[in-house]
Amino acid sequence: MKVLGIDTSSYMNTVGITESGQVLAEGRYPAKTDTLEQIVDNIDTTLKSAGLRLSDIDGYGISLGPGSWTGIRVGVTVGKMLAFSTGKPACGVNTLDVLGFVGRDHGYLITAIISVGAGDAVYAGIYNAADGSIRRTGEYYTGSVEGLAGYIDRPAVIIAQGARDYAARLKKMISHEIVSVEARPYGSAVAYLAALRLEKGEQDNVLSLSPVYLKESTARALVNKYSGNRNKKDK
Amino acid sequence: MLVLGIETSCDETSAALVIDGKEILSNVIATQLDLLKKYGGVVPEIAARRHAELIGYVIKESLDRAEKTLDDVEAVAVTAQQGLIGCLLVGVAAAKAISYARGLPLVGIHHIEGHIYASRLSNPDLPFPHICLTVSGGHTMLLYVKNETSYELLGTTLDDAAGEAFDKIAKFFNLDFPGGPTIDRMAKQGNRYAFHLPRPMLRNNSYDFSFSGLKTAVINMFKEKLAKNVSLPIYDIAASFQEAIVDVLVTKTLRAVAEKNVQAISVTGGVSANSRLREVFQEQCRHNGLAVYFPSLSLCTDNAAMVAAAGYARLKRGQKSNLRLNVYPNVPLEARDED
Repeated sequence: MKVLGIDTSSYMNTVGITESGQVLAEGRYPAKTDTLEQIVDNIDTTLKSAGLRLSDIDGYGISLGPGSWTGIRVGVTVGKMLAFSTGKPACGVNTLDVLGFVGRDHGYLITAIISVGAGDAVYAGIYNAADGSIRRTGEYYTGSVEGLAGYIDRPAVIIAQGARDYAARLKKMISHEIVSVEARPYGSAVAYLAALRLEKGEQDNVLSLSPVYLKESTARALVNKYSGNRNKKDK
Repeated sequence: MLVLGIETSCDETSAALVIDGKEILSNVIATQLDLLKKYGGVVPEIAARRHAELIGYVIKESLDRAEKTLDDVEAVAVTAQQGLIGCLLVGVAAAKAISYARGLPLVGIHHIEGHIYASRLSNPDLPFPHICLTVSGGHTMLLYVKNETSYELLGTTLDDAAGEAFDKIAKFFNLDFPGGPTIDRMAKQGNRYAFHLPRPMLRNNSYDFSFSGLKTAVINMFKEKLAKNVSLPIYDIAASFQEAIVDVLVTKTLRAVAEKNVQAISVTGGVSANSRLREVFQEQCRHNGLAVYFPSLSLCTDNAAMVAAAGYARLKRGQKSNLRLNVYPNVPLEARDED
């Protein structure tokens, strides 16, 4: 089953194609290129580099976030409308899982971290390696980097953009060995994780696929900010 | 040619199927009125989130209502210019994916060009050239429309759009949102000559507008009287305020008509649904031997049918966009990229 995965959550435009666990092609546009402008080019170029056409794709993997709000909206919208337009199934994947997947061959506790973007807070997912993939140990985490220390009960690998800094801060809190791997989420990892579900015949409701913002309070803070302004003006 | 139109430039998620820029098979509009009422206006990030959730459903619904599938669609037109950037890009991302997956021509449209076509959709006999006044919550523009795809921007608002002024006044008096229809309704019970309010920039020679000062004048008048314990009749305020806006819009439009020596006026955008604006335009045009055209009420506010119609006109002339189409939140209409 050929699966095309898209991740646009990290100010980078990534598309990957997998089949039976093998990466057929990977396309990454560097940071600071315009996600919306480049996305279809990237998909087209990546398909061609694997000698494929869009009609050869059997299913889609779509990275839903957390990450850049605008970036994710582009990737999710393009991904779900490609699936809709070609009548193929799609699965949404949490971007923390995509990042965690980078550590699938590591024996340590896998900790994927994504910056919330505002202030010092982070999103995190903690995983064990399992059968060539990863298995999440608990709920997704939102909070301070230091707060993660309570979940790390053995040697751990931190996977993130800015992983070294996160590792250094955690080392101050924990005696276990902490190593860091600098990484961004990427398309073929999305495709791989989506394929695990698609190959079992599972799929998401394509049209319902929407970005994951994880931290509800981020949205609520926005709402409060605006309704707060309003009240002030009214007085 | 069956064109799928997509519009997400502000707070309506809309998709439509239109044949040859004339016959509307479907025009699905998901409004964010619930959010608007809650926050008293458009919050860009929240609007963009809602677009991303709804876009697929709205497109599917536009196909279902028209009893068509993507196999029947021959081109995709999408609003790519003028609007909130985070909102625009959801529609453009969807349009590009459909265009690429189905090998369909794609054309990016300027939002205001869409409004020009809203009037054409309702009035196929609308002649060229004409003067088009586009008035909504986001825009107040006076345009000289030379032919199907060529326009000259004569004037625009320097601060608040006309619809925005209605909304802000409604908000100040804690009236229902959106403010336009509420004030329109209340004004019918008020005396429009009760208070003399400023007519901003009316004596000015330019075709630009400014409504921020008028809004402040209303609020200050209310506060002054309140301080003297004189309460003001709200219906009279609504009527006088509306009359000031209508007066400015109509006078400037007629001045443009005279200068460009055209015989027809088209009034579009959400505020073109205002009953007093329609009444005064009709009176003045009858008096001056001019023809005035309004879109049907359902095509006044943002919708994708007008985008499909504008797209058809571009495609007919061989103009289309490539798959690198990007969004531009603020570009003048006449400087439109021909790709």
